Amino acid sequence: MAARRAKRSLSKAQREFVCEAEETLERLRADLLTLAEQREGEREADPDLVNQLFRAAHSLKGLAGMVGFDAMSELAHHLEDALDGLRMGRIDLDSPAIPLIDEAVALAAGLLAHFGHQNEAQQRSDARDVADMLARIETGLDGPAKGPSEDAVDSLDLDPAMLRALTEYEEHRLRENIRKGRHVSLVETAFEISNFEEGLGELSAAIREVGEVVSTLPSPGDSPASQICFALLAATRIDASALAERLEFPDTSVRVLAEGRTTAARDAQASVPESGAALSGIGAGTEAARTKQRAATRASDDGEAPETPEFESLRSLSDTVRVDIRKLDELMVLVGELATQRASLSRTAARLLADAATSAAGRDLAKIDKLLGRKLQQLQAGVLDVRMVPLRQVFERLSRVVRRLQRDHGKQVRLDFRGADTELDKLIVEELVDPLVHLVRNAFDHAIETPEQRLAAHKPAEGAIHICASQRGNHVVIEVSDDGRGMDAEAIRVRARAAGLAGEADEISDKEALALVLEAGLSTCSEVSETSGRGVGMDVVRSNLTALGGLVDLASEPGRGTTVTLTLPVTLAIVQALLVAVGEECFAIPLNAVIETLLVEESQIHRSEGHEILDLRGEALPLRRLASEFGICAGEQAAYVVVLGLGDARMGLLVDRLEGQQDAVIKPIQGPIQQVRGIAGATELGDRGAVLVIDVASLVEDGVRRRDAA
Amino acid sequence: MSEAGRVDGPDPDASSREALARVAAPETGGQREGAAPDLAEFLVCELDGSAYAIAIERVREIVRMRPLTPLPRTPEWMLGVISLRGEIVQVVDLRMCLGVDRAEIGRATRIVVLHGDDRISGVLVDGVRRVLRIPAQEIRPATSAGLHAVSEVCRDGDGFVSILDLDRVWDDHAGS
Repeated sequence: MAARRAKRSLSKAQREFVCEAEETLERLRADLLTLAEQREGEREADPDLVNQLFRAAHSLKGLAGMVGFDAMSELAHHLEDALDGLRMGRIDLDSPAIPLIDEAVALAAGLLAHFGHQNEAQQRSDARDVADMLARIETGLDGPAKGPSEDAVDSLDLDPAMLRALTEYEEHRLRENIRKGRHVSLVETAFEISNFEEGLGELSAAIREVGEVVSTLPSPGDSPASQICFALLAATRIDASALAERLEFPDTSVRVLAEGRTTAARDAQASVPESGAALSGIGAGTEAARTKQRAATRASDDGEAPETPEFESLRSLSDTVRVDIRKLDELMVLVGELATQRASLSRTAARLLADAATSAAGRDLAKIDKLLGRKLQQLQAGVLDVRMVPLRQVFERLSRVVRRLQRDHGKQVRLDFRGADTELDKLIVEELVDPLVHLVRNAFDHAIETPEQRLAAHKPAEGAIHICASQRGNHVVIEVSDDGRGMDAEAIRVRARAAGLAGEADEISDKEALALVLEAGLSTCSEVSETSGRGVGMDVVRSNLTALGGLVDLASEPGRGTTVTLTLPVTLAIVQALLVAVGEECFAIPLNAVIETLLVEESQIHRSEGHEILDLRGEALPLRRLASEFGICAGEQAAYVVVLGLGDARMGLLVDRLEGQQDAVIKPIQGPIQQVRGIAGATELGDRGAVLVIDVASLVEDGVRRRDAA
Repeated sequence: MSEAGRVDGPDPDASSREALARVAAPETGGQREGAAPDLAEFLVCELDGSAYAIAIERVREIVRMRPLTPLPRTPEWMLGVISLRGEIVQVVDLRMCLGVDRAEIGRATRIVVLHGDDRISGVLVDGVRRVLRIPAQEIRPATSAGLHAVSEVCRDGDGFVSILDLDRVWDDHAGS
């Protein structure tokens, strides 16, 4: 039984074993610690955690068996048995099980340390320890078997075929949950085959927030061929309709299998009555609770609700109304159109005022118009406010991504957030998820070094990714920074020259080099050194942000880390716009990008290296003429400069006239030409018809690039 | 939003669908309902004095000429955009796409609003003649010598009408 090997030097396979076994033991220890903490906090033990422990012990057994390490294999086998007992409920968690398992894991670590190095005496002492431990496990954990409560599961309104598909463990968990008075429901859903893993992961995570996913089974379902259906058996602390409310997934329905005893979340850990009583609630109702079910219809279910606490919990939930974002869009458009109509009312009032004969009526109308304007503004703010959601949800998703990456790659990275309460338009938040996930992955995969490299560079072994969001005026700024290796400007320069983005002789400043990473041509190359491989997909992030009217900025210091700064408008739906005119044409510029407007003389405009600049209080402001940008015949002299700013970039736009401010609903331009650089969309402004909205982000970007290229 | 536009006042577009039906009436003798399944329907438009046909499924509505907002940084055949009950739609000079001179705006000039895939677009034509309904087997492939944008022709009385393949027009001009 004792290890027979006493080799001084280990073979490659043995070294691999030690390495893997060490990791497995490390995981076991960490999970046991979490389990102990859960027990101490009088919380319920997480069944997934116990299951994970069981699997770790199982793989340890397998590993030890492969290298013929019998003592370890034997110990792991018993550990596995004990943990199986725990997860199947045969052994009570309150028994001396946890400390005993702890000891067994410690012993296993000791055995591993001696692996391949033992002498005779040590071998004997280890063998004794193992035998001793096995005996203690056998006696200490063999609690009385609990009486089964089969009926609980059989009485569920569940397809027998599905019931048969459950593993023994899943069936146990189902029974256990019913015993605890949890609500058991069947969540049926469909995902596109192309990305079902992600969707399923998110759905499961959402259910786990309020309970447990007992089993996930593919189900037939009558969905189109491109979709795949799943049935998730969920046991939750909240009832089915509340669960349906929480799960914001399309094509997802929730069906009640067994109503639990509703306990408000705060007394969830209060002592659970014995199993007999728990069965009373089972099979009480099987009404379908659809995801889209409204608060109002839920009220009618009250008749079936067993007792008052249920009623209370429903009431607290029904304060919230879920609204389809498209309905808000429609409201927004209406508000925008009202604002347009109001503008023509203002003009009429002004016309009446100007004429002496009608000035009295004009004054009255102007007063009404002003009041109307104020109310309209409140209405607009109200509708906008409804669309706003905090970034917290996105941050939580990012945490999940990092947790998964850590599990898969064994890199230690801390992710922390600031400004999770910063609010953004729901649609922008949705569009922001992919770029942010990409940035975080990039930081994890490429920027953060391995623990060894980090220690060698005098950094803590654990890497850090900080995400910080804050609102600045009409924009939200999100910074994603890491303390990784940073980007090597020289490597990017080499790459840029090789890719033909810059000539051999061109000077490229560090800042320009980083800007090049955001360009498509450079970033898609993968055969670059690891350091500059960082740019992969940054062009995608940039184009996503540009589509939202935002900007991406990159700052990096080799060895110290990289910061990516995203600057976004707070909302897309409606913007205050500055109307400017060039020749006969009128354009709208979103006011949130306008810093100031200036009256200028041609003599104040200087030329430097072929570019026009304006001396703005001592700073050189690069200028561009809207007329020449857009090929419009303009007046002889441009009279106004609109100072545009996005992020840190500043640029002046020369126009002929300023024509006031107006609220504008920006709409996409439909037609055969997909996109015109510099134009973000168009808006309908009363008597002016369609007015083009300038895409400030791309103008500023082009301006900066042109200047840098000079 | 389009509803709001309609109650706004006398909208010349509001009746364009009925107008479309009226144009169709003489041809069909008012028996649209009983159309045989193998009949193809086309809107016949006039471009530089010739007749061109556009598949009726692609036509959403026909509107009168209205002020265009020029769209900068686009080719010459892009006339600009119009606001159509809140939607902003590009209008293309179909004559230029077919290699003829720029269109002259006259009383008969119309914008044919097309829909397909997920976007709408407008094309400027010299006039709209009528709706042509012909058995599908009357449609013949066009000779290779003709315009690339004309993939098929069909007999109409004594003459031939070229059937426009608008996807080809967009492919040739807008690039994608």
